[in-house]
Amino acid sequence: MSDSINIGLHLVDRQLLDSEGRRCGNVDDLALEGNPGEPLEVVAILSGPGVWGQRAGLLGRFFGWLGGGRTVRIAWEDVENVAAHVKLRKHAKELVLGRGGERLRPLLDKIPGADQ
Amino acid sequence: MKIFQVALGILAAIGGFVDIGDLVFNVSAGATFGYQLLWVIVIGVVGIITYSEMCGRVAAISGKAVFDAVRERLGFKTGLMALIAAQVVNLMTLTAEIGGVAICLQLLSGLPYRWLILIAGIALAVVVWVTSFDWIERIFGYGGLCLLVFAVAAVKLHPAWGAVAHGFVPHVETKSPLLYAYFAIGLLGAAMTPYEVYFYSSGGVEERWGPKDLGLNKANALIGYGLGGFLSFALMIVGGSLFLDKGIEPEFLGSITMGAEVPLGEIGLLLALVGILFAVGGAAIDTLFSGAYALAQFLGWEWGRYRHPRGAPRFTVTWLVLLVVALGLVMTGVDPVQLTEYAVIFSAVALPLTYIPILLVANDRSYMREYTNGKLANFLGLIYLVVVLVISLSAIPLMILTNVGQN
Repeated sequence: MSDSINIGLHLVDRQLLDSEGRRCGNVDDLALEGNPGEPLEVVAILSGPGVWGQRAGLLGRFFGWLGGGRTVRIAWEDVENVAAHVKLRKHAKELVLGRGGERLRPLLDKIPGADQ
Repeated sequence: MKIFQVALGILAAIGGFVDIGDLVFNVSAGATFGYQLLWVIVIGVVGIITYSEMCGRVAAISGKAVFDAVRERLGFKTGLMALIAAQVVNLMTLTAEIGGVAICLQLLSGLPYRWLILIAGIALAVVVWVTSFDWIERIFGYGGLCLLVFAVAAVKLHPAWGAVAHGFVPHVETKSPLLYAYFAIGLLGAAMTPYEVYFYSSGGVEERWGPKDLGLNKANALIGYGLGGFLSFALMIVGGSLFLDKGIEPEFLGSITMGAEVPLGEIGLLLALVGILFAVGGAAIDTLFSGAYALAQFLGWEWGRYRHPRGAPRFTVTWLVLLVVALGLVMTGVDPVQLTEYAVIFSAVALPLTYIPILLVANDRSYMREYTNGKLANFLGLIYLVVVLVISLSAIPLMILTNVGQN
């Protein structure tokens, strides 16, 4: 990968992988910082239904509300690399990502054979 | 070992290609226009081969399945529209396939339809829950091979081979050009149904394809869909030889099986029913997974049958919910064959939203590296993009003008 990337094309909407390579959300938005006259810097990745409203208007807001409206902020320091996927340095649990799945898991455990 | 693997992939592709939409459209097109539309199947098959190879290659090199690419290239807003369209069409298709399985079971057993819907639903859920991905592909791929009985039937019906050959030459020679165009669009839509590429690309990721599997990908797409096209020819020839000018509209799955029963007797009927049962059952599983793949990939959830059900909880719950909803829809008594027709036409409208992102991603050097599209793939990809746009724009007007192919 080259040193510069187009964040609109090669960062936003990419799949997030945690330190164990598990899929744990998408790059839904970015937090940028910078003073007037200075270049902007990406300081964090935002992931979760909370930012869908800003991405897709009324429809996005509806689905964001349906999805619980949370947003997880992942500091840029926790990003290991950006390639076909965005690899993170920490475990999903530590970053509070993929909570929806964790909540459903006990439900599935009641069905025999769920771990095969 | 390698050849064995290729063979399995090919078998799976045949099973995955011919579904209730292909059965309905190929046989009805034969019944209405004889062999005249055979050339359209060729166009559809080359299209699905082109784009399956492309998305399989993207899956092998980047680990991205189709809806990852949709989200990445169309962005959240347009991607969300594509997702909603895909889910609606996919649910219609799933409902039609489950209905088709129940009809097959009814023709085989004579038990009441509603009970068989329930049995079909439970059987599908159990198969998906306990069977691994590659075995699902194998079982339904092998079973679907019974459809080859239609190829034997096509020969036994002694069609006028000159007319068959003429059917492969693109031509319009009819008093009802609108109906002809409607069937052409339906055949293309059925051949290039988006769920096939959702499933194919996600399957590549499920089987952990890498650069070394690119040959396998090519063979699967080329020979698998090629043989699927061969079966489509057979179905249309059977439809043309048996039903044309006889005033019979094959609007029931039962009349499609007549295509094998008339020339081959009871054994033909049985093979046709078993073939349809497995092909349509396999397609039901493909669509069931495709809906869950699309949603999970769009939202970045963990997905895949290679994770056990609790390893990808939201993916698992999605397909369980889809199955229950589809079962509810079949229970309303909606006619699966009619629903199929609508599903194929509506999916034709949504085709560009699936195929444009694949073409873009397959050309992205940043992660496809030296495996980006070659000249041939881009040439065909662009031509089919035009084809798909024409289909998309004309599908609904033609459906209305021809009263869903009834006039």
